[in-house]
Amino acid sequence: MTSTDIESSTPLPRPVGLLRRLASDSTVLIAGGILVTIVAASLLAPFIAPYDPYETGYAPFIPPAFMEGGTSEFLLGTDQQGRDLLSRLLYGTQATLLTGLLGVFFGGGAGVVLGILAAYFKKFDPPIMRFVDVLLSFPAILFGLAIAAVIGPGIVPIIIALSIATVPDVARVTRSTAVVVMSQEYMEAGRAIGLSDRHLIIRYLGLNCIGSVFVFLTLRFGQVILIGAALSFLGLGARPPMAELGMMAAQGRDALFFAPHISTIPSLAIFMIVLCANMLGDALRDALDPRMRNM
Amino acid sequence: MTGKQLLAVDTLTKHFPVRRGLIFPREIGSVRAVDGISLTLQKGETLAVVGESGCGKSTLGRLLLRLIEPTSGSVRFDGIDVLSLDRETLRKLRRRMQMIFQDPFASLHPRLSVRRILSEPIELHLGLSPKDTERRVNELLSVVGLAPYHADRYPHEFSGGQRQRIGIARALSTRPELIVCDEPVSALDVSIQAHVINLLVDLRQQFGLSYIFIAHDLAVVRHIADRIAVMYLGEIVEIGDKYAVTASPRHPYTRALLSAVPRAEAGRERRTIAQGDVPSPLNPPSGCRFHPRCPYAEARCRAETPQARTLEDGRQVACHRQDEIPPWPAAGGAGIDPVVRRRLQVLATAAKAKPAAA
Repeated sequence: MTSTDIESSTPLPRPVGLLRRLASDSTVLIAGGILVTIVAASLLAPFIAPYDPYETGYAPFIPPAFMEGGTSEFLLGTDQQGRDLLSRLLYGTQATLLTGLLGVFFGGGAGVVLGILAAYFKKFDPPIMRFVDVLLSFPAILFGLAIAAVIGPGIVPIIIALSIATVPDVARVTRSTAVVVMSQEYMEAGRAIGLSDRHLIIRYLGLNCIGSVFVFLTLRFGQVILIGAALSFLGLGARPPMAELGMMAAQGRDALFFAPHISTIPSLAIFMIVLCANMLGDALRDALDPRMRNM
Repeated sequence: MTGKQLLAVDTLTKHFPVRRGLIFPREIGSVRAVDGISLTLQKGETLAVVGESGCGKSTLGRLLLRLIEPTSGSVRFDGIDVLSLDRETLRKLRRRMQMIFQDPFASLHPRLSVRRILSEPIELHLGLSPKDTERRVNELLSVVGLAPYHADRYPHEFSGGQRQRIGIARALSTRPELIVCDEPVSALDVSIQAHVINLLVDLRQQFGLSYIFIAHDLAVVRHIADRIAVMYLGEIVEIGDKYAVTASPRHPYTRALLSAVPRAEAGRERRTIAQGDVPSPLNPPSGCRFHPRCPYAEARCRAETPQARTLEDGRQVACHRQDEIPPWPAAGGAGIDPVVRRRLQVLATAAKAKPAAA
């Protein structure tokens, strides 16, 4: 009996892969399926949209095809200016997804960098986190107002406001994850080997934080879309001719009682996107939980 | 021993500041984790550092490698003043001094394959070609009793003992001269401990390594060490040859440690019992730090800090009353506790069975 025999006589169960665990979750399949469909439809908007989203020449206030007085010519009806709602919905989803995605991308990126630096260089921890606290105390809507006041309304100030609003939460979550990773012996082992700070931060600290931070970003994506839609609803975002879900909901507000579809359809689209993103985030968090590894 | 000095530590001190206050934190004191420790290590020698948990032995190990910055004192590694090096030179020096960690479940990067874990230090320090790096990884794996096919697995696929072997292979990868072993077997099953200890003994002979071996298990220490340093609250109270220290301990604390080894037979009275708990290193007792727990303490112990005195057998003891306290009774047999002796036998048997192992 050799020493290696003794130790390998108890083989560890091989953990099930992350993708397989995700695929066995029906929530993931449904939410993922819906989200993929929405994204694909919005990306393909130029090809599948039946009309030009900006063309106004049609009869206004036509209800959707499945309602009384609807016509199969305009599946989701037209808005008060006689624009095809389905076409606007497809383009609007594109704009909404893009603002949300860019907001999470820039804000999340900056937040991750700040959080990791704060955890790795203990000297920088207090200044970075106090700065983050300052950001945290500003509501995103206020930021949007301020930025729109300076550079005027449009899609760019919205993305900036969303990014800034995302930074503090992501920085906090990243830092708390990174602090736990920093206390692991393998970080010290990496230093004992003589690895550079850069290597330790990226390959050791970053790699071990990114999982849980990614889950948070997925959950955050839904919120960012909501804030973005709210900013547009308030008239700070996309400018009128442009199609954007929040702004479309705002424009349909006046006709809510006699043509409710103008406002409700884009609102439902926002609802579906946020719901699916949250469900995916939840499922991802469960799947990454180490206690679920061998199930 | 070749007699060439590898490591010289002089009055090494590490005080961790303790701060209070939310907005304007101010220092309210410091934890004296390591307080003025001096020691030397010869090439090829193994010095064991023992003591209760919280006595600063792990901090000492990290200070020696400058993984944490000391408050004061000096560390000379092969004549090089380690504490004055800039970051780059220090990183290069790390090739020659490595560390084996206590917890094999926390000391390996969970997302790197064993091959990556082992090739990182090789690529960093040895500058081998990819082919030679791979050969070296396979060689390291077989040296620690694993097989080349283990290289593409991840740490979570191994047992604790196997992981510790990977940790040892990583420490060996850069061909170091000094390895600080921070309780390398205390997280392992007793059945695995003997294998890992004997592996460390073999590697020392094979590669001419020197160890600083941090532990609290006296049987393990007696098996592997040449000299033993006993630490109490950040200070060394007794340091010397392992046979001298374990067979006729002079410091009351060393005696207390030896008496604390659990005993199988009932009814045998203990020889020296340390009363109470370890005092807080935040506010260590005056005079001799052991005096509140020492059965031989007198007025002088409370007032004066004892200086280490060198005995005729070369060992150093820091106790005022070392000449006055009663001699250590030679226990039945070779002066070793029966429980310890049994553990030693297990280690020796495992060592003899070794040739059959990889």
